[in-house]
Amino acid sequence: MNNKFLKAGFAIVLVAAFFSSCKPKNSGDVVSGDAAQKAYVAPGKYDEFYNFVSGGFSGQVSVYGLPSGRLLRVVPVFSVDPQSGYGYSEETKPMLNTSHGFVPWDDQHHVEMSQTNGEVDGRWLFANANNTPRIARLDLKTFRTTEIIELPNSAGNHSSPFITENTEYVVAGTRFSVPPDNAKGDVPINTYKENFKGYLSFVKVGKAGEMDIAFQIEAPGVNFDLSHAGKGKSHGWFFFSCYNTEQANTLLEVNASQKDKDFIMAVNWKKAEEYVKAGKGKKVTTKYAHNVYDEKTHSAKSEIRTEVLVLSAKELKDICYMIPCPKSPHGCDVDPTGEYIVGSGKLAALIPVFSFDKLQNAIKNKQFDGNYDGIPVIKYEAALHGEVQKPGLGPLHTEFDGKGNAYTTFFVSSEVVKWDIKSLKVLDRVPTYYSVGHLCIPGGDSRKPFGKYLIAYNKITKDRYLPTGPELAQSAQIFDISGDKMQLILDFPTIGEPHYAQAAPADLIRNNGQLKFYKIEDNNNPFATKGEKESKVIRKGNRVDVYMTSIRSHFAPDNIEGIKVGDEVYFHVTNLEQDWDVPHGFAIKGADNAELLIMPGETCTLKWIPKKVGIVPFYCTDFCSALHQEMQGYVRVSPAGSSVPLTFSLGTNVPASK
Amino acid sequence: MFPFFIPIVMNTSKISLFSKVLLLVVSALFFASLSFPMWRIELEAPQYPEGLVLQLHANKIAGDVAIINGLNHYIGMKTLHTEDFPEFTILPYIFGFFGLFALAMVFIAKRKGVIILFLSFLLFGVLAGVDFYRWNYEYGHNLNPNAAIVVPGMAYQPPLIGYKQLLNFGAYSIPDIGGWMLVAAGLLLFIIVIKETNLLKKIKKQNIQPALFLLLFLTLFSCANDKAVPIKMNADNCDFCGMSIADGKFAAEVITEKGRDYKFDDILCMIHYTKENSATKIGAYYVNDFAKDNVLIPANTAFFLSGGTIQSPMRGGIIAVSNEVDAKEFGTKLNAKPITWEAILNK
Repeated sequence: MNNKFLKAGFAIVLVAAFFSSCKPKNSGDVVSGDAAQKAYVAPGKYDEFYNFVSGGFSGQVSVYGLPSGRLLRVVPVFSVDPQSGYGYSEETKPMLNTSHGFVPWDDQHHVEMSQTNGEVDGRWLFANANNTPRIARLDLKTFRTTEIIELPNSAGNHSSPFITENTEYVVAGTRFSVPPDNAKGDVPINTYKENFKGYLSFVKVGKAGEMDIAFQIEAPGVNFDLSHAGKGKSHGWFFFSCYNTEQANTLLEVNASQKDKDFIMAVNWKKAEEYVKAGKGKKVTTKYAHNVYDEKTHSAKSEIRTEVLVLSAKELKDICYMIPCPKSPHGCDVDPTGEYIVGSGKLAALIPVFSFDKLQNAIKNKQFDGNYDGIPVIKYEAALHGEVQKPGLGPLHTEFDGKGNAYTTFFVSSEVVKWDIKSLKVLDRVPTYYSVGHLCIPGGDSRKPFGKYLIAYNKITKDRYLPTGPELAQSAQIFDISGDKMQLILDFPTIGEPHYAQAAPADLIRNNGQLKFYKIEDNNNPFATKGEKESKVIRKGNRVDVYMTSIRSHFAPDNIEGIKVGDEVYFHVTNLEQDWDVPHGFAIKGADNAELLIMPGETCTLKWIPKKVGIVPFYCTDFCSALHQEMQGYVRVSPAGSSVPLTFSLGTNVPASK
Repeated sequence: MFPFFIPIVMNTSKISLFSKVLLLVVSALFFASLSFPMWRIELEAPQYPEGLVLQLHANKIAGDVAIINGLNHYIGMKTLHTEDFPEFTILPYIFGFFGLFALAMVFIAKRKGVIILFLSFLLFGVLAGVDFYRWNYEYGHNLNPNAAIVVPGMAYQPPLIGYKQLLNFGAYSIPDIGGWMLVAAGLLLFIIVIKETNLLKKIKKQNIQPALFLLLFLTLFSCANDKAVPIKMNADNCDFCGMSIADGKFAAEVITEKGRDYKFDDILCMIHYTKENSATKIGAYYVNDFAKDNVLIPANTAFFLSGGTIQSPMRGGIIAVSNEVDAKEFGTKLNAKPITWEAILNK
């Protein structure tokens, strides 16, 4: 009996073993031995690289140090930032002006650093706004947004702000094709094929960084997704991936995935320049905002422009060429030599790599396969260098290490795959946690990559950190790629949703002439107060201008009486400090906007409309000194029509002595 | 099944009390199984670390049905709905019937009846398996040609039982609690049948130990994805040192538990690789048989020699052969000493 039961038990164990023997164990996320050492930057020591990371739906750009993953700063770009007063202060409100009026938020996807001779030069960082199409330029001396230009005739500026190798142009595109601005836009949506167009904008970048739309190319109505400029031998060309060549206008997830191949559009922008010179462009009326921040006045000005030059890709036959690319291409990346163009069909199970030389030959020998809406389609094989076979599932983006290797992210199979550009052989693969989107190697899309680290920006975080309710931070992961094999060394959470990022050697930016504070004598803000004695309060009708100063640890004036309900009060606060890292804040009770954070030597203005009678305190919000808590003042608000005279003082408004 | 037919014809007598008690348990198991899921298909993908599960009850589909339907729409698989499967209306009655049948047998206590119950349940099991396979096939192959992701030649049929990789998802199909109850019921019925027909005594004359060991062997090597992938000489590169594999006497290969293969030009390269990638779980190690040309043999059954005049490509100095005779022969020829697989792994 016993024996029988033993045997039966044995059999059950066997069956159980059978079921569990097949199931692969979770390979887990074991970080090998020296990872901590590789990512460790001792307190007080500097990181090797600056990492500029797009903020996605936060609208901002965050700055991290590599390899430590330490957050250094969040630079407000397309979204208002109550903590610094960006978009709330009178000086910065014009930065967010558009042809639609003031837009307080955007979706910031990609960043690109300025380049000289194809190498990152540490002057500026460009950032795109996807929702209300714009490009911003950040000055890397001040880490401030100094210019924003709106793109007309566009919607969904996704394939932006990629630049040419000497920062001649920064481009913008149209992910959601729409009827052009000056056309009658009131058309049935299902007339997409006739009425919708995809515009590409070439924005000229001047010596001081100033942006100006040089020309736009009118292309067929498809979804332009990503882009990169040619470099080296392919300098003079730009490559844009596009999907929805089916021209669907509804349920795109199905209807825009039908064709086996969509396109990468190659744009000969040098040729386009010639046509512009030859007067082949059409001037088209439209409306777009151009906002510039002046460092001397600490103020932005917004100007609405009304004209743009448009070249037709259909009529000017040799500007644009379509290269077939499998299955809804997303990433469109050019290797450091400029010879290889990598298209990543996000639904494809292979990666096509195109050759610039072959492309030129194909164009010369007219190896075309018909045309797409008037644009020649090059034969797939004629431009193809080769395909990376079985690389993974859902390829998205590729960066380069400058040693002949490419690194491609795979969203669906959640991994980064390293492969050889020439032989197209897969060399290594590492899992990411989870579902990686973009990746960044310092200088990884330039002619001179610094192939030491690779950062993967993941779309899904799930169980990687302590839980924080339904909404979780997104995550980045740093890999050491200096050896043959990629090695995970650090995870760090990010601001918003990180899309593309750029990184540059720290010295390039640290030594670019970083501004430590604004010189008070150079402060040309019309409302600046350059000494306590100049502080004053002036009433003109119901507008009251308060010329206020702040210095450790008081405001001047700090007692103001004679303000009436319904007045428009402007606090122009000048920080008189002339030392590094002594900002002062300014906040007033009941203000319906935000605070001001004023850098040394700077003047900022907060508008305040008192609604209630009473005494209203204001104070400094940035812990500036040992007596920071004493840095405060009062405003007396009287009823509208009251006869309390306007007075202001510092230190003199004391109780009457008996 | 054949041995059971003989006793059916011969025996119609009453069953023992022990069998009656077991039958009562069987009946209870049948009824209880109705309130538990019968089968589960677990799905795992990198971005679903917590896993997704589809649970098949006797009367409904449960688990993460909505999420799985949402994912399946990318590949154009039909969405799963309980009402699309007539089985879910019939199955509860079938299990109820078996439960009542077993209960009835406690009272009727006819040996023949018990055997009929067992055989009909066995038949049901086979039919259910066929039916399950048919549905799996139907859903895995009948894909919307307009789906967003179409991988040529790819079908998404989950395994009937066991593990299978489907794109980025690993699918793992096994019985759930209710299913295990039915398995237990089947086993108990089997025991009753054996006991009542004295089958054990009839078989005992033959030794069943080898059969058990065969079963154990099958269990341990049940995963087909552990099979060695042939190395292409001068075409495949070593996954550790990067050099092309040129000598079919020293090469090695690992198959990871996920079914990926990594090839090496030297046994030591394989060991170094597995050390550096300790996170990768290895399913099987293979080494070249030194006595032959480019023949891979499982490392855990091979005989190893080390040192002497062995000159392997990366100076690992280790060779493997498939049997002891060869080991002795090459040991003398090359002046090499035997070494165990464990010792090599710990090198």
